[in-house]
Amino acid sequence: MNENKTKLTEEEKKLFGDLMPEELDEIISSGLNRRHFMKLMGLASAGLLASHLIGAEQLFARSAEIGDIADLAPAAIENGINVSFKVNNTAKKVLIDSRATLLDTLRERLDLTGSKKGCDHGQCGACTVIVDGKRVLSCLTLAATCEGKSVITIEGLAKDNELNPMQAAFLKHDGFQCGFCTPGQICSAVALMKEAKEGQASFVTADVRQNQQSVILSDEEIAERMSGNICRCGAYPNIVAAIKEAQTGKNVEQTWLFAG
Amino acid sequence: MEEKNKSIGKAITRIDGLLKVTGKATYATDYPAKNMAYAVLFKSTIASGQITAIDSAAAEKSPGVLKVITHKNTPKLNIKGGLRGGALLQGSEIHFYGQHIGIVVAETFEQATHAARLVQVSYEEKAGKIDFDELAKDAVKPKGQELADQIRGDAKKALGEAAVKVEETYETPIEHHHPMEPHSTIAVWEGENVILYNGSQIINGAQSSAAATLNLKPENVRIVSPYIGGGFGSKGGQWANLVLTAVAAKVTGRPVKLALTRQQMFNSVGLRQRNIQKVSLGATKEGKLISISHETTTHSAIDSEYIEPCGDCTKIMYDAPNSLISYRVVPMNVILPTYTRGPGKSTGSFALESAMDELAHKLGIDPIELRIKNEPEKDPSNGKPWSSRKTVQCLQEGAKAFGWEKRNAIPGQTKAGNYLIGYGVACGTYPARQRDSSAIIKLKRSGSQVTATIELAASDLGTGTNTILAQVAADGLDLPIGNITVNIGDSDLPPAAGSVGSVGAASFANAVNDACIKITNELIAKSDKQFFVRPTARQMMISEQTLDFQTRADAKAPSNTDQYSTHSFNANFAEVKVNIATGMVKVTRFLAATGAGKILNPKTARSQIIGGNIWGIGMALSEESIIDPRYGNFATRSFGDYHVPSNLDVGKLDAMFINEEDFIPNKLGIKGIGEVGIVGVAAAIANAVFNATGKRIRSLPITPDKLL
Amino acid sequence: MRPFKFTNTSNASSAINLLIKNPNAKFLAGGTNLLDLMKEDVERPDELIDLGRLDLTAVRPLVTGNNVVGISIGGLGKNTDAANHPLIRKDYPLLTKAILAGASAQIRNMATNGGNLLQRTRCSYFYDIAMPCNKRLPGTGCSAMQGINRMHAIFGWSDSCIAVYPSDMAVALSALNASVKVMQPSGTARIIAIHDFHRLPGNHPEKDNNLDHGELITAIEIPKNKFAANSAYIKVRDRNSYAFALVSVAAGLELAGGKIISASIAMGGVAHKPWRATHAENILRGKMATVENFQMAADAEMEDARPLAHNKFKIGMGKKTIVYALEQAFKGTGYKA
Repeated sequence: MNENKTKLTEEEKKLFGDLMPEELDEIISSGLNRRHFMKLMGLASAGLLASHLIGAEQLFARSAEIGDIADLAPAAIENGINVSFKVNNTAKKVLIDSRATLLDTLRERLDLTGSKKGCDHGQCGACTVIVDGKRVLSCLTLAATCEGKSVITIEGLAKDNELNPMQAAFLKHDGFQCGFCTPGQICSAVALMKEAKEGQASFVTADVRQNQQSVILSDEEIAERMSGNICRCGAYPNIVAAIKEAQTGKNVEQTWLFAG
Repeated sequence: MEEKNKSIGKAITRIDGLLKVTGKATYATDYPAKNMAYAVLFKSTIASGQITAIDSAAAEKSPGVLKVITHKNTPKLNIKGGLRGGALLQGSEIHFYGQHIGIVVAETFEQATHAARLVQVSYEEKAGKIDFDELAKDAVKPKGQELADQIRGDAKKALGEAAVKVEETYETPIEHHHPMEPHSTIAVWEGENVILYNGSQIINGAQSSAAATLNLKPENVRIVSPYIGGGFGSKGGQWANLVLTAVAAKVTGRPVKLALTRQQMFNSVGLRQRNIQKVSLGATKEGKLISISHETTTHSAIDSEYIEPCGDCTKIMYDAPNSLISYRVVPMNVILPTYTRGPGKSTGSFALESAMDELAHKLGIDPIELRIKNEPEKDPSNGKPWSSRKTVQCLQEGAKAFGWEKRNAIPGQTKAGNYLIGYGVACGTYPARQRDSSAIIKLKRSGSQVTATIELAASDLGTGTNTILAQVAADGLDLPIGNITVNIGDSDLPPAAGSVGSVGAASFANAVNDACIKITNELIAKSDKQFFVRPTARQMMISEQTLDFQTRADAKAPSNTDQYSTHSFNANFAEVKVNIATGMVKVTRFLAATGAGKILNPKTARSQIIGGNIWGIGMALSEESIIDPRYGNFATRSFGDYHVPSNLDVGKLDAMFINEEDFIPNKLGIKGIGEVGIVGVAAAIANAVFNATGKRIRSLPITPDKLL
Repeated sequence: MRPFKFTNTSNASSAINLLIKNPNAKFLAGGTNLLDLMKEDVERPDELIDLGRLDLTAVRPLVTGNNVVGISIGGLGKNTDAANHPLIRKDYPLLTKAILAGASAQIRNMATNGGNLLQRTRCSYFYDIAMPCNKRLPGTGCSAMQGINRMHAIFGWSDSCIAVYPSDMAVALSALNASVKVMQPSGTARIIAIHDFHRLPGNHPEKDNNLDHGELITAIEIPKNKFAANSAYIKVRDRNSYAFALVSVAAGLELAGGKIISASIAMGGVAHKPWRATHAENILRGKMATVENFQMAADAEMEDARPLAHNKFKIGMGKKTIVYALEQAFKGTGYKA
C-alpha cells in the first residue's frame, strides 16, 4: 500500500457509503462481497417508468401551441382552399393546395411530424389520426374535407403533463421498436377503446348478432382490430399486451424466460 | 458475471421510448428546414436498354417546378463511391426495371409528384435477363471467393452409400425489407458541406459512401440519423436516393426532402434474392449423418454481385464427415440483392431444417433427438472449438417449456373443430462478432450530481442501442441510468460499427464499456488517494471535486477470438393451426430458445427475438415479391400485394434465453440477437404445417392455395 | 395527383348538377379508393365534388304500408356504422360479417356504403400506369392475361379483362338480393338490382358498373330474408386480416328442419362482379342439408370455371369454401368467430 496516498475522509466514506450503507468498514477493508452485490441488484431493479427516459422534461415543457403557419409562395398553391379546423384542440386556419392530404398538411404545414407516411395509400396505418372521435387514415383524407372538424394526432394525446394511459402502456410493454408506426398504432388503439365501449363488432367477434354495450376485448379481438396498423419490427404481441392493460387497468405481466 | 452489475441484465424501459410514444422522435423527414423544396424520383419502365430521349418540357412548365434532373444534367458522380445498386443518373443505360432515371424538384410535394408524371421517356429496349426460371439452368460459379465450393470428404459418394436419404429442393421467393419508414433524406448544403438527415444503419458507412460518390471528403458530409424507422439490412449499405437528394439540393440551392414511395421501395433499395436450394442428407439407420450437401442457385444484379450465403448454417450445424456447400448464380436485370435480416441463414435454415425434419420423419426418430445425435463437438467447417454452443440446451429447455411431448409424431392426426394442429421444431445460428468502435465519455459534476454523456456514431433502428448503452455506462460509471445521456446517430461523433450482422450491441457496448474503464482508470491515476476497493468514476468525480472530465476509447475485438468459432444458436418451436377448408395457417404459439451470450436487457432483447420470429412468420406464410418475366417489373407492387404479417397473423410468442457466459467473442460476453431471431423460424413453421396436415411445402410462402 | 378543383355542396341535387356540368368531375365520398387511384395517376378527375356534408347516411327499416319489408342503408353512411347497426347485426349478420372482413377499422370508418360498391379492381396491372390495361386505357391490351394472374378471375372474364372486383360487402349484398337506389339527374330515383349493378368486362372493361355519370347512390336496400341465423361469410386470403380475398363465399340457407327451402350463395374474388352461384342454389333447393349435397352443389357451380395460368387453385378453393360456408350456415355458426 502506498503510504503517500491519503486515507478516505469521513465525508468521502459517507459518499462511498451511499451505495453500500451497512458494511462500509468491511468493504473498505476487504472489498465488495457477495452480499452487497445481491443488495445492489435489488436496488437497481426498482422504478420501471423512471426519469431515465429521454425527453421527459422537454415533453411537458413544450407549449401545445404551434407557431405561426408559414405561408407558401404563391406558386406553391394550386386550387387553393382555406381550411379552418381544430388540431389537438387548437383552432387552425391554413391555405392549402386542394391536393394536399391531411397527412401532408399536418407534417409539412403544421409542424406536426408525429403522424408518419409509411405507404401513402392506406395500406399500413402509420398515418392514423383521430378525426371527430374516429380513427382514420390521414394519407387518404384530403385536408380540404376537414373544414370544421377536430383532428387529434399523437402530439395531442398527452394532457396536463400526463401521458395518455395508452402511451404509458405502450412504453411499459415495449409496444414498438423503431417507433415509426407507433404514433399510428397509439392513435388507433386510443380510438379502439371508444369503439369497444360502444360495443362495436369485429370480424372475430364471437357472435355478431349479440349486441353488446361494452366489450372487453380478447387478445384475438385486439389483434384483429389493430390489423390495420402494420408494424414491420414485429411488436404485435407487446401492442396487444399494452392495449389489454390500458383497457382493463389491470397489470399485464411481461414475460421472458431464462433457462439452462 | 460482472462485479458491479446493477443495470445490465435488467428490463429497463427504452430510454427513447417516451419520445417514440409521443411522436417526438425525429426520423429523417421530420426535420424542419427553411425554404424546403420537395423532390420526387421517376423510374425506368423497361428492364434493359437505353434511354433515347427524355421530354421534360411539360414537367418543367408545371407550376412550382424548380428543376428536372436527369442523366443529361446531373453533375458527375463517382459511381464506385460505395453506394449500392447504381442508378445514379450518370448515363442512359438501363440495368433494371424501376431504375431511377430522374428527379423533379418543386415547391411542394404535390407539385413535384404531379410533375414527375409528366415526364415522357423514350427507350431503345434490349432483351433483358428477367426470367429466373429460364435463367437458373445457366447459373455459374460466383466471383466471390468466400462463395467457392466448400468440400469436405466426398458428399456424393457418402450419400450413395447412406441407408436413409433426403434429397429435396427448397425454394424461397424474392422478399423485400419494407421498413415502415421508406428510405428518405433531407439534404441541406452549407457552403461546401452537406448535412444529410438519413436513416442509416452504418453512420460512418453512409458518410464515406456519400462523400466518395459526391467527390467530397468525408468531413464535408455529415449524416444525422438519431432515429431510424427500421432497416433490416436495407439501410445498411446506402443507395442512390441518399446522394441524389444532395444533388437536388445543390442544383436548386434549397434544402431538399426526398422520400421514396412505398411502390418505389420495391426496386430502389435492394431485396432478398430468390433461392433454389437443393439439400441432400445421408444418414445411417440410427440417424447419424454421414453426408450433407447444400447447393444454392440464385441470381444477382446484372452488373454487380451480392449473394446471401444460404449454406452458412449447413456448414456448422451438424456433424458429418462429408459435406458440400456450393453456390451458382445468374446475373439478372433486377435491383441488386442485399443483406436482409439473417442473410443466408434465414433462407438457408428453411432448406436445411426442413430436410432434417424430413429425415427424422423417414427414420421415425423425434426431430429433436435427430439433431442432438448429430451435435458437433467443434465447428465442422474449420475444426475450431466453439466459444460456446447451447443448441442442445435450446432444444431441451425449449421443448420442456413448449410442451413438445404433446406432439403426435404422426402427421395429420390432431384435429380441433375445423382445424388441424401441428408442432414443428427447427434450429438456427448466427455468427457473433465485435467490430471496431470508438466512444467518448464526458463526465460532469454539479454538487454531488454526476452526469455522463456517451458519444459514438452508433445507430438505433429499434434494436434498443440507446438503452443498452445507457445501461452499460450506468454500470461502468456507477451512475443511475437517468444520469446518462446517449448521443448516437451522427457522423460527427467517434466512428463506430453499424447495426448490421448482429454486431451492433457487441461493438457499441464494448466501446462504451472500455471507455468507462478507461475514464475510471484516468480519474484514479490523477488522484493522490489510496483505495482498498477500486472506486467508481462517480465517486472519483465527487471526491476529487472534478467538474468536467472526458476520455475516448477505441475498442477492438479480443485478440484470441479468431481461435474459436463464435456463434449464437437457437431452437424454434411452432404450433400452427390450419383451417381444413380454407388452407389458411395461423401460428398460434411460438417459442424461440436462444443461447446468445449476455442478455443486456431482457425487455428489448425479447422484442428483438419476437420481431425476428414475426419476420420468420412472414417468410413462412405470406411474403413474396413476384417479377413479371415479360417486363421485369414487380407484379406485387404495393403493401396491398406484398403481405408482411398483420397483428392477427401472430399468436402467442415466447422468448427463452439460455444462460450463457462466453467472454471469447468480446469482453462483455454479448453475442447479438438481431438476426438469430429469424433463423430457423420458417422451417419450424413449415415443419409444423407438415405435422398438422401431412403436406410438405418446400416452396415458400405457404399460402392457402398450396395446402388445398 | 393532377390538379383538381375542390367543390363543396350540401345537397344531393346540387351535387348531381355540379357533376353533370363537368364530364371529368367525380364525386368524393370516403375517398379511400379514389385518392389511392389518383395518387397512382389512374384516376384523373379535374374536379372533386365532396359529398361529405350530404345527409344520406341513415340505416332504417324499409316499410311498405305497415310492414317492414327490409332495410335501407344510406349510400353515404360509413361501412363501420352499417356493420354495427343493431338491426343489421341482428337480421343481416351476413352483411356485418362481410363488411368487417374487408380492409381495416380505419378504412371502414372512412369508406361509405355507396363508395364500397364503386371501388375498383386491385389488379396490379390496372394500378401501374406503365402497363397496358384495357380497363384503365381501353384498347391497350390486358397485361394480366399472359402475366401474373394468381389473383384474377375464373368466371365471366373476357379477352379484354380478367380483373376481379374486390369488395366483400357487395358479395354479401348479392347473396342478400339487395338493390342499389340511385338518384338520377332528373331527380327521380332508379332502383338497380345488385346483380345488374356490376358488369362483366365484355368488350368494355373500363365500365365497372351500370351507373351513369350524374347518378348518385342514395341507398342500398335489402329485402327481408329468412336466413339470418343460417348465414356465413367465409374469406380466404393470404394473411389473416387486411388482405383481399383469394376466394370468398357468402351463403344463406332458409331451412325447414334439415331441408333446404332455398339457398343464397355469392362468391367474391372470382369474377368482375359478385358471382352469384345460381347452379349451386338450384341444386340445393329442396334438398337435405348434407355435406354430400353441399359438395354436389359446389362441384356444379365450379364446373363453368375457366382458370388462368396461375389461378387454377381457385376451383378447388372455391368448392371447399362453398361447402365450408354452407356447413357454417347450416350449423348456425356462420356469424360466430
